[in-house]
Amino acid sequence: MNNDVNLDRIPQDDAGDGSLQTRANTILKAADHGTPLELSNITIRYGGQKGGADAVNVVEGFDLTLHAGEMHCVAGRSGSGKTSILTVGAGLTLPTSGRVFWEGQSLESMGDDEIADRRRALIGYVDQGGALIDGMSALENVLLPAVPDGEVDQRRDMAKDLLDLVGLGRRMRHRPAQLSGGERQRVAIARALILGTRVLVVDEPTASLDRTSANRIISILKDTTSDGIAVLVASHDHELVRLSDTLTELI
Amino acid sequence: MNAVQRFIRSRVLLLTAAILIVAMCLSVLVQGQSQAALNRTVDENSRGLYDILVQAKAGSGGALMQPEIANGQGGISFDQLDGIRKLSGTSVAAPISLVSRVSQNLESPRLDAMDYLGFNAGLVGTATAGQPGGTDPSKWPAAESVLTDEAKKYRMTASAVSSDGQSEQTLFKSMAEGSLGKARLIEEQTAGGKSIRIAGAEGETGIKFPAPAGGSEHNLFNLSVSLPLAPQVTESVVAVDPVSERALLGTAGDFLAPLEKAPPADARNAGAIGRHFESLFTTGISMEELEEGPDFLGVKLKYWAPLMTQYQQAKRNGQLTADSQAIPLIVRSGTSLDLKYSVKIEEIDDSGNVVKDVGTVTRSLDKDYLPFVSKSPFALSWPGSQDYSQLLGNTGNFSQGLYNPATWTTDFASAPKYTDGSTAGNGAVDKTATPGEWVTVNRLPEKAAGGAPVDQTQREPVDERSYRESLETGSKLAAPLAMVYGTFDADKVQEAAGDINRLPLGGYDPSPLTLTEDAQGNKVEGTELKPSLSATGLVSQSAGAITDYYGLAAARGYEENSSVIDAVRVRAKAPGSWKQSQPEVEQLADEIRDMGLEATVVAGSAREDANIFVPGYSKDDAGKESALGTVTQSWVRQDAADAVSGSLTGTNVTLLFLTLIGAALLTGASTVSYIRQRRLEAGTLRAMGWTQTRVRSWVLAEFGVGASLLAIAGTILSLVSWNIATVIVSASVLVLYAAAAYFAARQLRHRDEVDQEPQHDERLIAVDSPLTFANRQLSTNKFNTISLAVAVGVFGAAVGGLIALLIDIPRAAGASALSGLAAASVALPSIVLALSGVAVGLVLTLVTGRFELQAKRQYLGTLEAMGWNPDMLGQVRLFENALVGTVALPLGVVGALGIGLLLAPYAALWAALAGLVAVLCWIPIATKVVQ
Repeated sequence: MNNDVNLDRIPQDDAGDGSLQTRANTILKAADHGTPLELSNITIRYGGQKGGADAVNVVEGFDLTLHAGEMHCVAGRSGSGKTSILTVGAGLTLPTSGRVFWEGQSLESMGDDEIADRRRALIGYVDQGGALIDGMSALENVLLPAVPDGEVDQRRDMAKDLLDLVGLGRRMRHRPAQLSGGERQRVAIARALILGTRVLVVDEPTASLDRTSANRIISILKDTTSDGIAVLVASHDHELVRLSDTLTELI
Repeated sequence: MNAVQRFIRSRVLLLTAAILIVAMCLSVLVQGQSQAALNRTVDENSRGLYDILVQAKAGSGGALMQPEIANGQGGISFDQLDGIRKLSGTSVAAPISLVSRVSQNLESPRLDAMDYLGFNAGLVGTATAGQPGGTDPSKWPAAESVLTDEAKKYRMTASAVSSDGQSEQTLFKSMAEGSLGKARLIEEQTAGGKSIRIAGAEGETGIKFPAPAGGSEHNLFNLSVSLPLAPQVTESVVAVDPVSERALLGTAGDFLAPLEKAPPADARNAGAIGRHFESLFTTGISMEELEEGPDFLGVKLKYWAPLMTQYQQAKRNGQLTADSQAIPLIVRSGTSLDLKYSVKIEEIDDSGNVVKDVGTVTRSLDKDYLPFVSKSPFALSWPGSQDYSQLLGNTGNFSQGLYNPATWTTDFASAPKYTDGSTAGNGAVDKTATPGEWVTVNRLPEKAAGGAPVDQTQREPVDERSYRESLETGSKLAAPLAMVYGTFDADKVQEAAGDINRLPLGGYDPSPLTLTEDAQGNKVEGTELKPSLSATGLVSQSAGAITDYYGLAAARGYEENSSVIDAVRVRAKAPGSWKQSQPEVEQLADEIRDMGLEATVVAGSAREDANIFVPGYSKDDAGKESALGTVTQSWVRQDAADAVSGSLTGTNVTLLFLTLIGAALLTGASTVSYIRQRRLEAGTLRAMGWTQTRVRSWVLAEFGVGASLLAIAGTILSLVSWNIATVIVSASVLVLYAAAAYFAARQLRHRDEVDQEPQHDERLIAVDSPLTFANRQLSTNKFNTISLAVAVGVFGAAVGGLIALLIDIPRAAGASALSGLAAASVALPSIVLALSGVAVGLVLTLVTGRFELQAKRQYLGTLEAMGWNPDMLGQVRLFENALVGTVALPLGVVGALGIGLLLAPYAALWAALAGLVAVLCWIPIATKVVQ
C-alpha cells in the first residue's frame, strides 16, 4: 500500500515548498495493521430503554468493514443516525447491540481507560463544526491530543506542519473565534491527525460551508486516504458522496 | 407584549423575584420573632427583687459589683433608712448588715458502741410505761452487743479533716488504747435494799483520750467513749429588718415571721430570759410543751433547751453579766462548712500489733447540723451498732443540743478586697484578690467546758491567710446567748431570688468560688472552694443565722443604733419591665443620691463570672508562699440588660442582612444567567434594526417589573414591622437587584468586530496537562470564574457564620447569665437565619456553576473524543474547581472571619476555619456534581 501523501491534491494557499512537503510525507504515514474499523450488526436505539412503545431504532443491523486507505461515507437525511454510527465507531457511545472492532479487537473487552488510550492511538474524531476549545490558539488545539502522553513539546513542529498542510500555517496563533467555519474544520482535522491516526471519523465536515471551503475539506480527506488512513465520514454532500470509495445510505 | 407580560413569561426572573420576596418576608418575620423573644426574655429577667442598691459613699463602684454587699462596714444610719422609705417612689427598703462571726464548740464528741443490756426494771423504772413513744417492757428485744464477754484490747485513732475544696487540712489526730468488753449487771445489797449497777467486763481498762476528753463508760444501751474535742465551728450572722425582708422575698421570706415577734431591744436581757425558762421547770412543763416548745411572747420556742443550758453554763462560768443579751436568730438548716470527724478502730494484741481492723466510722457537718442548736450530740457509732435508746420514748431527746455559749466576734468579718485587672471584649473581668495578714488557726481552747485544762499538744496550729478585716465595735461584749426562733432553707431562698438576679442574697448567700486554674496556670476541672473553718479564707460563708437590727447592735457592742446598715435594697413602686420602669427608678435613685448615699441602679443588671487570681494563698513549712491560682465567682454586671439586648439585636439584624444579601446575590446570579441565555434574542433584535440602547431598555423594563415588586414588598414589610432595620435591608436588597439587572443588561452589548490579528499571547502558560488546561479555561472565562468564586466564597462565609453562631453566640452577647438566657431564647431563629444563609450560599454556587455548563460539557466531550481518558477528564474538573476554590478561599475565610467578628468575636477564628473547610469541601463535591 502506498503510504505517501499525494500533496498535489492538497490546496496550496500556503504556497508550500519542497521541505514542507517532505515533512508532511513523514507525518501522514500510516502503518498497515489490518482492518482498522469494523462494525458488526449494530443496532442503536434511543428512548424507551425497557422496550417501551416510545423506543426508536435509529440504526438496525448495520455492518461496516473499513479498510486502510478507504473512505466510506454514511449518507442520509437528518436524524437518520449518521452521527450515531460515527460516535459508536469512535467508541464514544456504545451501541444498543452489535459489536465494534478496532484493528480486530472488540471494544466489549476493553475498559473505559483502554478505549480512551486506543482511541487516542487509532481514531481521529472530527465533530460537526470542528468543536475547537475557546481560549486556545489553533496550534494549541491541534496539540491537545498530545497532552495525555506528555508529548506536547515533541509534537509542536509536527502540529505546525499539519496546520501548514491544511493551509492554515499563517493562522496557527489565531483563536477559534477568529477562524471561519471551514478553517475551524481544518484545524479539527489537523488535530485529529496529530497522533498518526489510522481512522479518521468525520461528522458532517462540509455542512454550513460554501462550496470552495467544502471542496478544500473534501480534498484533504481524500488525500488522507491516499496515505493509508481510513476515513469514515457522515455527510449528505453530493461531492463527498461521489468521491467516497464506499457508501451507506441510511433511510 | 409589554414588560409585565415578558417578565411573567421569563419564568427565571419571576421565580428569582418571588424567591427574593419570600426570603425577605421570612427573614424579617424570623428576625421579628427573634427580637420579640429577646425583648421578652430580657424584660422578664432583668428586674430582680429590688431595683436600687444603696450603700454608703465610697462603697462599691464601677460596672462590676462584688457579690458581698453586706460587708460589715456599715455607713448608713436608721434615719437615712427612714428617709429612703419616705420617698414617694419607694415601695420596699430592706436594710442588710453583716453582724458577726460566731464560733461554737461542738459538744464533746463521743463514740457509741452498742452494748444493750435488755429490759431491767431496776434501771429503767417505770419510764417506758407512761412515756409517749415508749416501748412496753414485754416488747423490749433481747440484749445485744458489739463487744465480747471478755475485754479485748483496742486502739482508736480520732481525726478531724476539713477541706477548702482544693486541699484537705487535718485539724488534729489523736490516738488512745485500752481494753473494752461487754457490760455486766451487778446486783448489790445495800442498806436500803438491792441496788443494780452497770459495770464493765472483768479486767476492762476502758479507753481514755487526752484531756479534756473523759473516758469510756457503760450504760443501759451502749458503751460510750469520750472523743477529743472537735474544732470550733464558725458561722456568720447577718441582720435584716424582718418586715421589709419579707416584703422583698415574698412567701419565700415567711421563715422570718417569728423574728417579727422577738422582744424589743430593752426586753432581751439574757439573765431575765434565762430565769424565765428556769421557772418553767419550777412551775412544771407539759410533755406537749417540751415537744413544740414553750410559748414565749406568742412564739413557740422549739429550741428552748439549748438557750437554757447555755444560760446555765454561762452563769456557772461567770460569763453572764447584767448586760448579756439574748439574740433572736433564724438559723440555717445545715452548714456550708466542710468538717469530717473520723475514728479508726483496731483490735490489737498485748504487743500493740493489729489483730483485726474493726472499721472506721465518720460523721460530717451537713444538712443535719443546725448552728447554735445542733439537733443531736455529735456522736459516732461503732461499726454494726444499733441505737436502742428509742425504746425509752421521748425522754432522752429534748435536752440534746449545744450547751456552751458561742463566742461572738467581729474579727475577719468584712468582705475581701480585689484589684481590677483586664476586661475582655465580652465583658468578662479579671481581678486579683488582695491578701491580708497570716493568722494562726486550729488552736484548742485553753479550757474545756467543765473548766478542765486542755492538752494543747493534741493539735498543730497552722498559719492561714486572711483576706478580711476586723470590724470596729462598741464596748467589749458580754456573752450573748443565741435564742433560736426558727430555721430557714437557703436553697429555697435562692430559688425565690431567681437564677439571673441573686442580688437580694448578696448579704447572706455569697456566690461560690470555683477554682479554674492552678498556680501554674493549668486548667482545673470545676473545683468549688469551700469556706474556711477559721473565717479568714477567701471564700465567705453563707450566713449561719439571721437576726434583726436590735440583735446587730447588741452583738456589735453598741448601746445605741448608730450607722450600722451596710446596704439598703430598694424596690421602686413603678410597675412593669425594667424598660418601662426605668425613668421612675432612675428618679428614685437620684433622690437617694441627694441624701448623700451611693445609689446604684441594679435593675437591668445580671450576674456574670469574674476571674480572680489569688496570690499568696498558702505557706509551706519553710515559710514559702504559693498562689492558689485563678478562681471564678459570679459578680453583678450593671446594665447587663442593655448590653445583652443591644448585642443580640445587632446579631439578629446582621444575620438578617447577611441572609438577604446572599439572596440578592443569588438573584443577581440568576439574572446574569438569564441574560446570557438571551444574547441570541438580542442579536436578532439588533438585526431587526434595534439600537443597543433600545435593546437594553427593552430588557431593563422586565427587571423594572421585578424591582417594583420588590419595592412594594419592602414597603409593606417595613410598614408592618415598623423597624428601621427592615427599611435598610429592603432598600439594600432593592439596590443590589437593580445593580444586578443593570450589569446583566450590559452583557447584551453588541460584540466588537472580530480582530483578525493573531490574539494568542505566547506568554500564556502552555497547555500541556490537565492543570494547565483547567487554568486556561478559567482565565479565558474570567467572568464565570469570578462569579463562581464569589459564590463559593459566600458559601464559605455563610458556613463560617453558622459555626460562629453555634459555638459562641451566648459569649458574644456578653458574659452575664442573662446573656446566656437571652441567647438561648433567640438561638433557634438565629440558627434558622444562619442556615438560610448557608442554603443561599449553596444555591448560589449551583446557579453560577451552571453559567457555562453546556460549554463545559461540550469541551469535556471534545477532549474525550480526542482520547483523554476518564481519569484525565476528572483531573480537569478537579483542577478547575480547585483553582476556583483557591480564588474563593480568601473571600470565604475573610468573610467568615468578618461575620464571626460581627456575630461572635470569640468564635471568629473557628468561623474562619469553618469557612476554609467549607470551601475545601466544596471542591470535591463540585467535581463530583459536574461529572
